[in-house]
Amino acid sequence: MATSDSVRTGVAGLDEILNGGIPRGNVILLEGKIGTGKTTMGLEFIYRGASQFNEPGLIVLFEMSPEKVTRDALGFGWDLQELERKNRLKIVFTTREVLRQELQQADSVLLEEAAKMGAQRIFIDGVARLISNDRTAESRSAFHVLTEGLQRENLTAILAVEASALEVDATHSLPEESIADTVIRLTMEESHRAVNRSIEIVKSRGQSYQMGRHSFRILDGSGIHVYRRVQAPRMASRDRASAFDPTTRVTTGVPGLDELANGGYFVGSTTVVVGISGVGKSVMGLQFLAEGVRRGERCVMLSLDEQVDQILRNARSIGIDLGPAMQKDLIHIEYEPPQEIEVDSHFYHIEELVQTFKPKRVLIDSLSTYGSSLGTQGRLFRDFFHALVALMKEYQVAAIYNHENPEMLGMASMMGGFAMSSLVDNIILLNWVELGDSFRIGLNVAKMRSNPVKRVTCECEITAEGMRVLPRELPPARAPFSRYRGLVSRAPERQFRQTQPGGPDDGSAQ
Amino acid sequence: MEIPAKSEAKKIAELMGAVSLLRNACDLDLFVFLNRHPRSLLSTEQLAALVGYPMSQIAESIEVFIAAGILDRIQNPGHAARLYHLNTHRHTPEGERLRRLVQLASTRQGRRSILQVIHTEGSDGEPGASKVEGRLLRVA
Repeated sequence: MATSDSVRTGVAGLDEILNGGIPRGNVILLEGKIGTGKTTMGLEFIYRGASQFNEPGLIVLFEMSPEKVTRDALGFGWDLQELERKNRLKIVFTTREVLRQELQQADSVLLEEAAKMGAQRIFIDGVARLISNDRTAESRSAFHVLTEGLQRENLTAILAVEASALEVDATHSLPEESIADTVIRLTMEESHRAVNRSIEIVKSRGQSYQMGRHSFRILDGSGIHVYRRVQAPRMASRDRASAFDPTTRVTTGVPGLDELANGGYFVGSTTVVVGISGVGKSVMGLQFLAEGVRRGERCVMLSLDEQVDQILRNARSIGIDLGPAMQKDLIHIEYEPPQEIEVDSHFYHIEELVQTFKPKRVLIDSLSTYGSSLGTQGRLFRDFFHALVALMKEYQVAAIYNHENPEMLGMASMMGGFAMSSLVDNIILLNWVELGDSFRIGLNVAKMRSNPVKRVTCECEITAEGMRVLPRELPPARAPFSRYRGLVSRAPERQFRQTQPGGPDDGSAQ
Repeated sequence: MEIPAKSEAKKIAELMGAVSLLRNACDLDLFVFLNRHPRSLLSTEQLAALVGYPMSQIAESIEVFIAAGILDRIQNPGHAARLYHLNTHRHTPEGERLRRLVQLASTRQGRRSILQVIHTEGSDGEPGASKVEGRLLRVA
């Protein structure tokens, strides 16, 4: 719900979690410890207002030199001096004592300056000792006076305050927080020795907003970017999304697999290919993409395991040259190092890619690397995967997720510690089968929603032409898998049948 | 105080031509402060404390700057604080010279050199009051 007269902050992503902006005239308390980004956010609020929304603004500083603020802002591409020359922005250096006195008087010089330039926004940086950190009625009253002064001029104000000065914690609210119309809290959270920034709208009068802790980054050359938490509800269309077209399929690109998969995967379906490292998951994925390219469908591959050049080299080794397709913008391959994935911004990036590039096919290699990065025990990984699945379904993308199962021979569970098979439409198992002195590749279509599944173990081979599923019956020189039992149980046994001497199963086969 | 090299002194003197109202260290330091804080809402007492000179000296420097037209002062009766706005037209040639002067004055050595030039210029035997007047006329 955006109010009829909302002030758009202009901070990328922030207005989305504020459902459009902040009601005009609200006094916003921006809390956070030192280094959390309060000054940057306040400056951007004023800069965007003056440069994009025709809303001049005033910046009030205490200890910080305006010269340094101007210099730092320029690093984000915000030319505050230029706006000052155009009388769209003013930076006033003062002391807390003066400001307190000023705002208590109706003929305040500061507010007069604001009125002269038609200011609609104000940012006061560092009001901690202005509003005092004691718990007296005087402190509450001082803050009340300050907000009244700002409201008199109908200024939408951001007051930055150091959380440590207010001793903000999760259990105690402060008088200042109850007086302010909006409270925004910035924090830095340590995660495996990395630090992630987060933002939470604690309260905001006169509007609805997206609750919870969202992520944000401070980006060189552009400023703050807020990323909605991955679990936050998106549009209703995404909640309702499903692989609703039961007729259109995308072919797998692996000879022999379409026959097992009833002609291919449904558009909008989610397929997980499970198997140990080296068994052929990425090869299968590359063929899926190459098939899309051959049909003129746009494809995306997101890799957390291998760099783009290495992927292209791997593809060439099985006769797939993706270079021309990349040049024609038919395929987009991207590598993201998995060490410090911040899930909200990462998901935002994928969402943007799907919305702008509009792929029909997506390959994500691999889910297990996400698991290692995000942890598989908590809800985060599951929520992230759930959001990915919903995104792909909304845009009717056939998505394949590779998943490494650590078991070398046989499989005791389909997805190991990832209890997410219920979210998945199709599951394909690839595993090693040790026969004689060699490993051969077994393939099972273990799950295929809305499709009959044969559930037989078929053999695959990978050659310089790629992967193919072998016929169930093979020439006599090689006993086919149909002559064995227990292929996935780690102890395959040859089944002997009554045959004619010299027939296909006379025991002469390997 | 070290004496700046002749060429440097000449360079500084040229720059000083643009701000010939700077009579002493207080003028220079206040001018540099106001460049860093072009719009300041402060009482004279606070300004004196921040720049590091007695109030009387600061008040005198302020009057000189206002008279020279490079400083605006807005005040309301009954308020201790005044809004000072330095208006040096940074994008004019004079503004550019001022910017360079402030840049020079921002280093310890540069500030010393400028003060040396001010000191040398000031020792020409001219009586103090008429010297200020002369400088103001030049600025005007």
